[in-house]
Amino acid sequence: MANQPLPLSQETLAQFNRSMSTEPGTSGPPRRRLGSISTRRSSKDQSKDQPHHRPLFLRSMTIPSSESSFLSPTVSNSHISMGKRFSFAGWHQGGRVSFSGLYLQQPIQEVYVENTYRTGPEPGCHFSASRTQQILQATLDSYLKGVCYSPDSCSQLCQMLADLVLSKLKDVNPPRYKVVCQVVVGQSGKQGIRVASRSLMNPNTDNYTSAVFQNHSLFAVALVHGLYFE
Amino acid sequence: MKNSTLQNTLDKTEQWTRIPSAEETTFVVDEITTVIKEAVESTIGNSSYQHSQINQWMSSIVESSLSQLTKLGKPFKYIVTCIILQKNGAGLHTASSCFWDNSTDGSCTIRWENKTIYCIVSVFGLAI
Repeated sequence: MANQPLPLSQETLAQFNRSMSTEPGTSGPPRRRLGSISTRRSSKDQSKDQPHHRPLFLRSMTIPSSESSFLSPTVSNSHISMGKRFSFAGWHQGGRVSFSGLYLQQPIQEVYVENTYRTGPEPGCHFSASRTQQILQATLDSYLKGVCYSPDSCSQLCQMLADLVLSKLKDVNPPRYKVVCQVVVGQSGKQGIRVASRSLMNPNTDNYTSAVFQNHSLFAVALVHGLYFE
Repeated sequence: MKNSTLQNTLDKTEQWTRIPSAEETTFVVDEITTVIKEAVESTIGNSSYQHSQINQWMSSIVESSLSQLTKLGKPFKYIVTCIILQKNGAGLHTASSCFWDNSTDGSCTIRWENKTIYCIVSVFGLAI
């Protein structure tokens, strides 16, 4: 499968036949014929061999090569010799071709990042809980002032608030910190509600904040956790 | 004697440098869902909303979920958020947005209810 060359064109075959018939046994390395077991021809045998000479048949396993001296006499049907050497990838210009003749895609270049050997955030670069809380409270107040609860629009409002808070925090976020922001918006009825959270984190590097907003028709709770990415 | 101690240190080094498989380093939603559901059911399975007990229920749910998650033994930091709401006809929406690595981190939200209580538990897992 891997090494199949193209079958020879008729033209090249005819050329070879002519060369075989006109020059028997003159070149140095002996040439093999298909199906023959004789190895060398001497000038004396010319007259005998010529009628036996058959035109070449196309075979599926023919490999054109410029020299035939490496062929063994016991290989009966695989090789003939030709003047021209074909290359497998010659007709695909510029592309990379695998051994089987199929196209290879350009490999995706992976980005290799070096080790920074840093185990914790830099001294001034911790997640600042107080600053985040101020941003959170300001966002909630400005956005929800005078808004009335409505079941259709409040789901979108909730998602939008979460995205907004995240985008504001991305600017303030120290490097190598992951941020998780959750917003809960509910209708101000006479029900009881409790929101609690607990996390498994490193208290030296990670922190969280929350902010609450309430008006006559709705309430909102925003939770933000900042976690250091080791 | 020396050979055995050398072998010991070599074995230990191999353990340290073992690269974990994809299963161990990505957030798997299914097993976490089962763990959390069990924790919620065991705490408030058949109870009705009682204002005095809410504190205790919340702590219990969140603590048991977190301890079960830790027992999974994966290299993750977890955030567990629990909302308990009395069924009153009022509406509630929650949304979250996260700045993390999508390939390794994930979240899942579990909703549970009975006749008088709505319980929403969100779990966020962030790879170390």
